[in-house]
Amino acid sequence: MQTLATLSRHRMGMLLAPFLSMVGGSGRLQRHRAGVSRAAVVVAACLLSAPAAAGDTTSPHSGAAHDSLQLIDSYCTGCHDDEYLSGGLSFTGIDTTEPGEGRNLDTWERILRMTRGGQMPPRDSEQPATDQRGKFTAWLEGSLDAHAVAHPDPGRATLRRLNRGEYANAVRDLLALEVDVRDLLPADDSGYGFDNIADLLAVSTTLMDRYLTVAGRISRLAVGRTPPDPRVTSYVVPKDGSIMNQGIPSWDERASDALPLDSRGGAAFAFYAPHDATYEISGWLNANTNNEVDRLPENRVSLRVRLDAGPHSIGVTFRRQLRLDESVQVHRNDIDYVPMPTRVAEPLQLLFVVDGRSVGETDVPSYHMSPRYSQANWPRDVLQIDVAGPYAVEDAGDTPSRRNIFACRPKSAGAETACARRIISTLARRAWRRPVAAADVAPLMRVYELARRDGGFEAGIEAAIEALLVSPQFLFLVEQSPPGAKPGAVHALRGEELASRLALFLWSSLPDDELLALAAQGRLDEPQVLASQVARMLADARAQALTDNFAGQWLYLRNLEHHRPDVFLYPQFNSRLRSAMRRETELFFASMVRENRSVLEFIDADYTFLNEPLAEHYGIDGVKGPAFRRVQLQPGSGRGGLLGQASILTVTSYGNHTSVVKRGQWILANLLAAPPPPPPPDVPALKARIDGRTLSAREQLELHRADAACASCHDKIDPLGYALEGYDAIGAMRSSDGDQPLDLTATLADGTQFQGLAGLQQVLLDRRDEFTRAFTERLMTYALGRGLTAADMPAVRAIARAAAADGYRIQGVILGIVNSVPFSMRKVPGT
Amino acid sequence: MSICRKPLARRTVLRGLGTAVALPLLEAMLPTARAAETSARPKRLQVFYTPNGMIMQSWRPAAAGAGFPLSPTLAPLAPFKQRLTVISGLAHSKAVGPGGHGSTCPAFLTGATARPTEGADLLCGPSMDQVVAAHLAQATPLASLELGIDPPSLLGSCDINYSCTYTNTLSWRSPTVAVPVTVNPRDVFERLFGDGQRLDEQGRALQARRRRSILDFVREDASQLAARVGTEDRRKLDQYLESVRDIERRIQAAGGRSSADAGDFAPPAGIPDSFDEHAGLMIDLSVLAMQADMTRVGTFMLGRELSNRSYPEVGVADAHHMLSHHGGDPEKIARLVRINTLHMTYLARLLERLSTVREGEGTLLDSTMVLGGCAFGEPNDHDALDLPILLAGGGVPGDRHLVVPKLTPMANLMLAMMQALGVEAQSFGDSTGPLSGVMA
Repeated sequence: MQTLATLSRHRMGMLLAPFLSMVGGSGRLQRHRAGVSRAAVVVAACLLSAPAAAGDTTSPHSGAAHDSLQLIDSYCTGCHDDEYLSGGLSFTGIDTTEPGEGRNLDTWERILRMTRGGQMPPRDSEQPATDQRGKFTAWLEGSLDAHAVAHPDPGRATLRRLNRGEYANAVRDLLALEVDVRDLLPADDSGYGFDNIADLLAVSTTLMDRYLTVAGRISRLAVGRTPPDPRVTSYVVPKDGSIMNQGIPSWDERASDALPLDSRGGAAFAFYAPHDATYEISGWLNANTNNEVDRLPENRVSLRVRLDAGPHSIGVTFRRQLRLDESVQVHRNDIDYVPMPTRVAEPLQLLFVVDGRSVGETDVPSYHMSPRYSQANWPRDVLQIDVAGPYAVEDAGDTPSRRNIFACRPKSAGAETACARRIISTLARRAWRRPVAAADVAPLMRVYELARRDGGFEAGIEAAIEALLVSPQFLFLVEQSPPGAKPGAVHALRGEELASRLALFLWSSLPDDELLALAAQGRLDEPQVLASQVARMLADARAQALTDNFAGQWLYLRNLEHHRPDVFLYPQFNSRLRSAMRRETELFFASMVRENRSVLEFIDADYTFLNEPLAEHYGIDGVKGPAFRRVQLQPGSGRGGLLGQASILTVTSYGNHTSVVKRGQWILANLLAAPPPPPPPDVPALKARIDGRTLSAREQLELHRADAACASCHDKIDPLGYALEGYDAIGAMRSSDGDQPLDLTATLADGTQFQGLAGLQQVLLDRRDEFTRAFTERLMTYALGRGLTAADMPAVRAIARAAAADGYRIQGVILGIVNSVPFSMRKVPGT
Repeated sequence: MSICRKPLARRTVLRGLGTAVALPLLEAMLPTARAAETSARPKRLQVFYTPNGMIMQSWRPAAAGAGFPLSPTLAPLAPFKQRLTVISGLAHSKAVGPGGHGSTCPAFLTGATARPTEGADLLCGPSMDQVVAAHLAQATPLASLELGIDPPSLLGSCDINYSCTYTNTLSWRSPTVAVPVTVNPRDVFERLFGDGQRLDEQGRALQARRRRSILDFVREDASQLAARVGTEDRRKLDQYLESVRDIERRIQAAGGRSSADAGDFAPPAGIPDSFDEHAGLMIDLSVLAMQADMTRVGTFMLGRELSNRSYPEVGVADAHHMLSHHGGDPEKIARLVRINTLHMTYLARLLERLSTVREGEGTLLDSTMVLGGCAFGEPNDHDALDLPILLAGGGVPGDRHLVVPKLTPMANLMLAMMQALGVEAQSFGDSTGPLSGVMA
């Protein structure tokens, strides 16, 4: 078996260290597998001088296995036999050598999960003694983990395509060009909770077509040979509105960090100027209609400014008044009469803002009465910002992307080819994430040559970039088997391949030059180097991707955009509150990673991030202004950790009522990796009334659970949701549910009683290792781009154990994943 | 640093010729091969949709049969009466649902019941235009073109319980995949004529050469890669290669073009200031797309369902949707009729444009089936059981008002249309059989 021999000594040491204490010595291994891996284990033992002396056993092999067989016979085969086949499992004639030999892993992992969590045997059956159960799970876990050490199995890795977000980031890092690809590329399918799952990222003709179009557009923009025709880029300011006209589109506060401190309202957005040129910024102001499609020319203000090529923030806003002077009536939709303002319009100062600085101002009237039908009067605000241009373009000049691409400029026609080769090789190296030789670049040079003949040096470069952006080596993460490797053989990834996986994991983008250089030198094999790179990457601004993409999906933050609370019950839920909720959770997650905090703080952190609207929503005093800041939570604030955050409480509710089941199910699935099975198809609706009395949510569910078949799952789900009933459907605290009093007590299946968020936090903390394992599972799924299988569980356990020994710190989990077999190794695909 | 408040001269700066389209110049582009294909059978489909229903008493012609009298709302279509069949009595019985707009709009071209949801679990049915597009797909660079005027709605202003997707578009590629509508003429231009670049003959040849060299490159690159990876990965790369080949095939079928020549048509900078200009531009682009054979299936929403646009050009300052719940007020009804009639002038414009483009012995209108209508009739009740529908153009015997038995599914009409366009289908949506007597 060549597998382990190809491991570097260091890599192997890292793999084996956490296992040695659990393996219980090589006695067991000696009996049950081929000679080579024994040598490897002995070598490892010597390397690490760990006290795992041969023959030392915490539970002697034959003894532990025999006891386990006894346990299964006594407590399990009553239901799990050939006759009853409960849960589709029969343990008749079960073979306890299987876990150590890696057979039937799915079943044994399931047994481990169920017995460790106390779910099996069921509550009402005879239970083994605690220490008996403990010995059983220790034996089982030890066997499974030992097998994984002896037979590392990184799992299946299929060719993985960049998803939409990764493509955009790759373009940004390759060409120094910010491009919003959401309009250009179709959305990707999701699986296992994430949209970066290799098996689901297919290539269709539509997608290929778009890639070709987008590549052309990006290459033209990046090289910037000819200025594009003037065009208008529009940004529509997110507003609330409903067919009942409940929204209030403007507040007397600063609307964005990109606007001056003394401003109110309006908006700012990111605009990429393709050339040094003149651009025209226009703001469309609201008139006294609520018609969102109305853009009245008399309500447009414009300013021409000169912008350098590159990214900018463009905004239109008003100067803040000491007193809000606009006369406004706010009415519910009434189609029968027109509210009239009571005062003459006064002048308001409007500002044009570029990159946070005011570049021009003008006066606008504080309202506009048009002859059109009006339904309500709002404070003056901006509906849309247009940026038109480029006009009066100076010559091609300098843009960030041109500086990036043109590492050299040919001084003569003869020097063109050499310069082109240099430019193209550099870009190919970055795009393909590996060193490139002349032979690799030759096809690209052919594309360059053909286009150069037609249009010159820069045209050739442009064509080569376009080709690069659609090349399979850019779009797909290519990983190669060592020459002569047999199918099923396990090998370490090449340095660049590890670098590519690492960059996708932590940055959702390409590896940078530093990472690629270290990879080329083979230094990513060194644990110190790898660890310091991981730390560097997590401190880099690009690690924002981990928040945006991992946390955004793990915590369902992307769903928040589409969630629609009832406008009548929750009129205070507006776009401002929605984005504040999301921001809180994003900032919280980012701070956890940056400060390397314990993952247990996801459960019970004593701080969060708030701005005034959100603090008001939470009933927390002392937070003023729209900017976010860290807030230390007082005991009794009712907040702390993820489960106190409005974002999660909102996405786990319906539009007009909370859902005990949804919240409980969310916790089980996302915090405890124990998702309950889906409900059976014929679940009757909850009975809402009995004998003319409206039942409380709890009573309704209790009726439901009277049926034992329903109770089997709901006994696990409901208690977790009950504890959160103190928060309404948009996460605010409440003391009653409509006219029903609240009862925040809950009882777990094992009889543990607890109450409210604090009680729930304690319940989760009591299961801290389970939580850490669950978090590791989620993060590992995201890191690998595939769902986890039973073969991955030993790695998950090892990482969680190591994290526990290190204060449960999050960067420890991240580094553990990077060093794990599934992430750092690869199995040669079959045939 | 000048600050302006008036509408700018930017329009002239940005758009040059504006809506004037030099159609005769483009006629030369029609390859003769295509002219030979012209037959009596229609081969294009264009849907023209107006929002918020129709005041039926002013729409419905007073008498049935041939030589029917034009109704007040249909007056702008007088020049095309000979090409026109008005159909009364069709229904979308499947469009029942708590929302009047959210359930009827998706039913218009699908004959399906939309699932009431505001989440991501949309469910409707495939729409007729997409079925036809799939059937004709290989012949043109673009399978279909979905155009509109109102931008997709922002949150909150859609029908209660129905996701905005349901009212943002008419077209559904599958029961779960809606096809978004393009409202910016600039984007339409770019899709048709390449990235907004004004390319002359030489420019397009250059672009075609470059595209070919890039496709050659990727094919070679992918094949080399495929040789080095395992079976499963090879399958993925095969998907990739197949897509590349598919695109090459399409380009081949389209006469070697991946984009067409825009001639004198200047690339629009963005959405024009006025509704009239905007609608006119979108109609011109639709016709251009058909003429250049970039696509043979198009839909155009003159307004998003639930549109609240006001129409000062016909003296209606009220918001359309609010007005459409007239509650029987004759003043409001009169204003609504003015809006409906204004909308019909745009349909007339579409027909006029199509009829001025020569194609072989006839015109583009002869080979294009135009379907006009709304998702429901009487707006106050969102009544989808008596729909305002008309057919014009290819394959349609004109000058007729066809009255069908009440509650005849509109899907029957759509089935007949699909069959006339060569789609081999025996049923569609809630159809009970192809509507007889409607095609020539």
